[in-house]
Amino acid sequence: MSGTIAMAADPPEQKPRSGESLTRRSIRRLLRRKLAVVCLVVITTFYTVGILAPVVAPYSYTEQNLDLSFDGPSWGHPFGTDRNGRDMMSRTFYAARTTTVVTVATFATGFVLLPVTLGMIAGYRRGFADALINRTGEILASLPGLPMLVLINATMRPRFVGWVGDIEDFIDVSWVRSIERTLRLCETSGDTIRCQPLTSSGFADYFLIFGVLSLFGWVGGARLVRTQVLTLRNSEFLLAAEASGASTRRILFQHILPNIMPLVIVGASASLGSIALSEIGLTFLGVGIQPPHPSFGALITDGASRSVLASHPELLLVPATVVASLILAFNLLGDALNDVFTSKAQ
Amino acid sequence: MDGLAGYILRRLLFLPVTLLIVSFATFYITRWGPGDPIRVAAGAGFSDPEALDRVRHKYGLDKPIHQQYGVWLRDVTLHGDFGPSYRYRDRTIGEILGPKIWVSARLGLYSFILVFLVGIPVGMFAAMKQGTWLDPLAIGAFLVFQSIPVLVMVPMMVLVFAAKLHWLPAGGFDGLFSKSMIIPTIALTLPGIAGVARLARATMLGTLGEDFVRTARAKGLDEFTIITQHVARNSLVPVMTTVIGLSLVGLIEGAFFTETLLGIPGVGRFVYESVNGKDYNVILAVVLMITTAFVIANLLVDVALVIIDPRIRANRSRAS
Amino acid sequence: MSNKLTLGVLGAAAVGIIALAVVLIVVVAGGGDDKKSSAQDSKTPTASETSSSGGKAASGELRLRGDDPLFLDPAVAQDAGSALYIVEIFSGLQRLDKDLKVQPDLAETYEVSADGKTYTFHLNKKATYQDGRPVSADDVKYSWERALSPDTGSVTAENFLGDIVGAKDVSRGRATEISGLKIVNDTTVSVTLDAAKPYFLYKLTYPTAFMVDKRQIQSNPKRWSQKPNGTGPFKLKEWKLGERIVLEAYANSHLGPPKLQTVRYDLSGGSSLVAYEDGEIDVTGVGLDDLERVQDPSDKLNAEYTTTPRQSIDYIGFNTNVPPFDDPKVRQAFAMAVDRKKIAEVVLKGAIPVATGILPPGIPGYTPDDKTKQYDPAAAKALLAQSKYAGNMPEITLAESGAGATVGPTEEAIIQFWKDNLGVTVKIQQADSATFFSDIDQGRYQMFHLGWIMDYPDPEDVLDVLFYSKSKQNNSRYANADVDAKLEAARIEQDTEKRLALYQQVEKQLIDDAVWVPMFFDTIHALVKPYVKNFSFPPTIIERFHGVEVNR
Repeated sequence: MSGTIAMAADPPEQKPRSGESLTRRSIRRLLRRKLAVVCLVVITTFYTVGILAPVVAPYSYTEQNLDLSFDGPSWGHPFGTDRNGRDMMSRTFYAARTTTVVTVATFATGFVLLPVTLGMIAGYRRGFADALINRTGEILASLPGLPMLVLINATMRPRFVGWVGDIEDFIDVSWVRSIERTLRLCETSGDTIRCQPLTSSGFADYFLIFGVLSLFGWVGGARLVRTQVLTLRNSEFLLAAEASGASTRRILFQHILPNIMPLVIVGASASLGSIALSEIGLTFLGVGIQPPHPSFGALITDGASRSVLASHPELLLVPATVVASLILAFNLLGDALNDVFTSKAQ
Repeated sequence: MDGLAGYILRRLLFLPVTLLIVSFATFYITRWGPGDPIRVAAGAGFSDPEALDRVRHKYGLDKPIHQQYGVWLRDVTLHGDFGPSYRYRDRTIGEILGPKIWVSARLGLYSFILVFLVGIPVGMFAAMKQGTWLDPLAIGAFLVFQSIPVLVMVPMMVLVFAAKLHWLPAGGFDGLFSKSMIIPTIALTLPGIAGVARLARATMLGTLGEDFVRTARAKGLDEFTIITQHVARNSLVPVMTTVIGLSLVGLIEGAFFTETLLGIPGVGRFVYESVNGKDYNVILAVVLMITTAFVIANLLVDVALVIIDPRIRANRSRAS
Repeated sequence: MSNKLTLGVLGAAAVGIIALAVVLIVVVAGGGDDKKSSAQDSKTPTASETSSSGGKAASGELRLRGDDPLFLDPAVAQDAGSALYIVEIFSGLQRLDKDLKVQPDLAETYEVSADGKTYTFHLNKKATYQDGRPVSADDVKYSWERALSPDTGSVTAENFLGDIVGAKDVSRGRATEISGLKIVNDTTVSVTLDAAKPYFLYKLTYPTAFMVDKRQIQSNPKRWSQKPNGTGPFKLKEWKLGERIVLEAYANSHLGPPKLQTVRYDLSGGSSLVAYEDGEIDVTGVGLDDLERVQDPSDKLNAEYTTTPRQSIDYIGFNTNVPPFDDPKVRQAFAMAVDRKKIAEVVLKGAIPVATGILPPGIPGYTPDDKTKQYDPAAAKALLAQSKYAGNMPEITLAESGAGATVGPTEEAIIQFWKDNLGVTVKIQQADSATFFSDIDQGRYQMFHLGWIMDYPDPEDVLDVLFYSKSKQNNSRYANADVDAKLEAARIEQDTEKRLALYQQVEKQLIDDAVWVPMFFDTIHALVKPYVKNFSFPPTIIERFHGVEVNR
């Protein structure tokens, strides 16, 4: 949705061996920028709240009180309550948790792990693997992202969630169960305790979403990695390593990987905003996170329904402000990172 | 430019292959999962399974999927027939999509022109004021707008301008020159401006350093003439090409939300309805249409970027 | 440019914050102005009734908002959105009036044989298609055989015409002619049924049994329905997808010329209440959130407010085949643990009434006394404790159809009651309609939230269709020999009193067994301009513009 124009990224400067690594120097430079720091603070706060949602939220996201339907902001409910009398602050915190899970998982999988693996294979192996990865990437890149995401999620979600539940029932191992209980992931229903943390926490939905986002997300990163690998292959220290008989695995993991990782992470961080937005958008369209698990997509749907809008604008203003600040912070941080890591100026 | 022409040709030749693979994947994805258009159409009403089967047979939906795909592919390639719609049963897909595309296209064109009309002057302005605080302020302001998702922007505007101030209608579509167009147009325009403005600014700064500008300056031409006559002309072409490409991508996605939020009867909302109604052939037609547009848009962007920045060309030839 | 950019963004952010502050001030300052909220919830019962056309309008023109129908083939169309237009353009042998009594339409009179199996219809000699051609017995035969033919692709035909001897042979491709249908003369047709079925005439009022024009269909088999030649009181004059539909009075209608000249539907969407207030449309539905306002006697719109019950019921259905709902005690406990009145008051703002049984008002056999299980948390808990699932309650999921980002607030409230009163956590599974209906057919759900809209006003349409053990739509998988016997008897019982009594017994049995939790009946809330006369909101989809007058 927010297409930042990535101007031609200059190839990274060859490592000057002057004591301090490029990464450390860049981070130091990043922290000198006020705006970047502000963004970092916003993002950190958001993620802290997201991770700690069960601790910091005063209520559960499902807890209703029909006597407090549409109760405006008050000390007890600073963000007010919705139609069913659920505390909006708690729902906002839990929605932040959804965003946290989805962005982190997608970032790690689709924007770091997959691109690095595929890019390294393509760049180092060349030949058929290279062609296959390239062509697949080209096709994926030419697909209309959002309509495809909607289509895939709409057709696959109901069955997928069912499967995850079945798998969870199948893994009835005592130590898994005890971990789940310690982490309070199980639900008590009547007298029985049910442990389907993935399904009941909505993680199955998260999984499908980050899976699909990853499927479409790896292409750009993989191209970048591939180009880097091709460049590095001919660099002196790699030739030296090969000459000294280092194994392929050693070359890939010890020599190439450390060199490309910062670049990949910087590139991927520019996409964090759009990852977060994709989840929110899909949920808004009804094919993302399944209710009652909160997501900003659902909160915005609720708040933007015309009935609620006029009489209870806080139900829209709160999630809208949070989402807008987060996306702004992500985008600006992405820009700053790009600047810091790729600029030649010292 | 031989390398570039070859590159464009190769990408275009690859398009049919892409479309074939995309159609195959979409065909299977839409038919995957429970339910089908015939069952959905029956809804909560009468739904005798045998009667449904007879209707499925009529439409060939009881055949194995690969056979259905074969039939579909044959009809499309030989007759240009994208198959029946299972929801709008007495119309061709073109007839159904036509009016929806027309609505979306007008909205998109409107926004596209505005992105261009606002973005380029802002970028030029910023470039001219380089070194003053006006440069970053102009770009920065639109960067902020770029980061506000359509999903947030539209309800906020509805809240303020429709629900509270009653200046604008809260949705609907009454034609191009009506109040109902204001909110969707702003929502689709604002996020695109920053990108265009930054690109215009960068291109302009690049052009300002070129020899012919220095020559013009040396000839004593005033700054306004230099900007409008020489610099603008040389920087506008690549910016425009890029804008077309990027706007298309952005507009299609933005339209999805804008149309859903405001009840505008365009393609975005329609795709969503078709997915829910499992209207296989309509989904397929729309996906292929958008894919083609995407490929061409991306190609335009690539080409424009190569023209703007020759360094990319070197990069690309290494990459492929 | 980075440091400058930082400044710029900070500056812009400052501007943004100020702008946001201004917005907030506007919002807060405008806080008291809720009254003029513009727009209606899209989920209102009459959403199809929404919307406008600009500009002047003459007397004799009724302006409405609506949605595009899918297609106007009466034999095939299954959605209410299309039926709304079809009932104006087409007609059948019999029709329902707004009190849901069967009235003559194309057939002026009819006779029933002594055994109740043979109906002889005499067509109205004035009845013509809208191109002027008289309606003949041949047309009846053609229309019905076409509806049944597998080539037509109608799902409903067998349900509505299948009682005629030989009709099922046509629908299953074994014959091309209905053997039980005889053309007596040009204007007389007689049909023989497989059994005496008192509700047969009701079925003929449904669009599937309406007349279509053979010549038009044969000359343009694929697209004729875009400009159909019907027998109804209104012609389709213009249909521009997504823009407008204009219906024009058919002056030579056998029912007499309509009082309106045109009915103009605006299909472009938008807020219909605003359009109504601006005088762009003459009738609008009212959503949940504007309800309070129009119900306020001091509001100027209050005088134009009208409300009518609709023949539909909203319910929670249990799959009586799967745990834990195979135990009636569990079902009863679940039924008694939900305070429906509270949900209706708070969540639905009193817009629709709590169901008092399975048969909605207006259906023969309906009685106003509340027959449902009353809210009683203590008794519910006790019942659950006695059930065989006490202490080992399996996981429970409530399924609903929907594609929104949020579950309906009603469902949320319902599961909260179960959690509070029974200590049972019920999950909600929201599925897209394709998945939902396919899973319902296969009995994959434990319980589901669904609605049923009556097709014709006879208890058979809900009780026999949804609860007869061999019915293909018995989604509850309910099987009770006693209920089956009563349903079978009621099908052919000629004495209306006895027949209704049988249905009432069935209804009571179903509620006692808690096969359903009947939740709500439906109500239409609408505004009608004072210069529109005789506009009614029938409880089901029937022709309704014929008697309407507009004197601006």
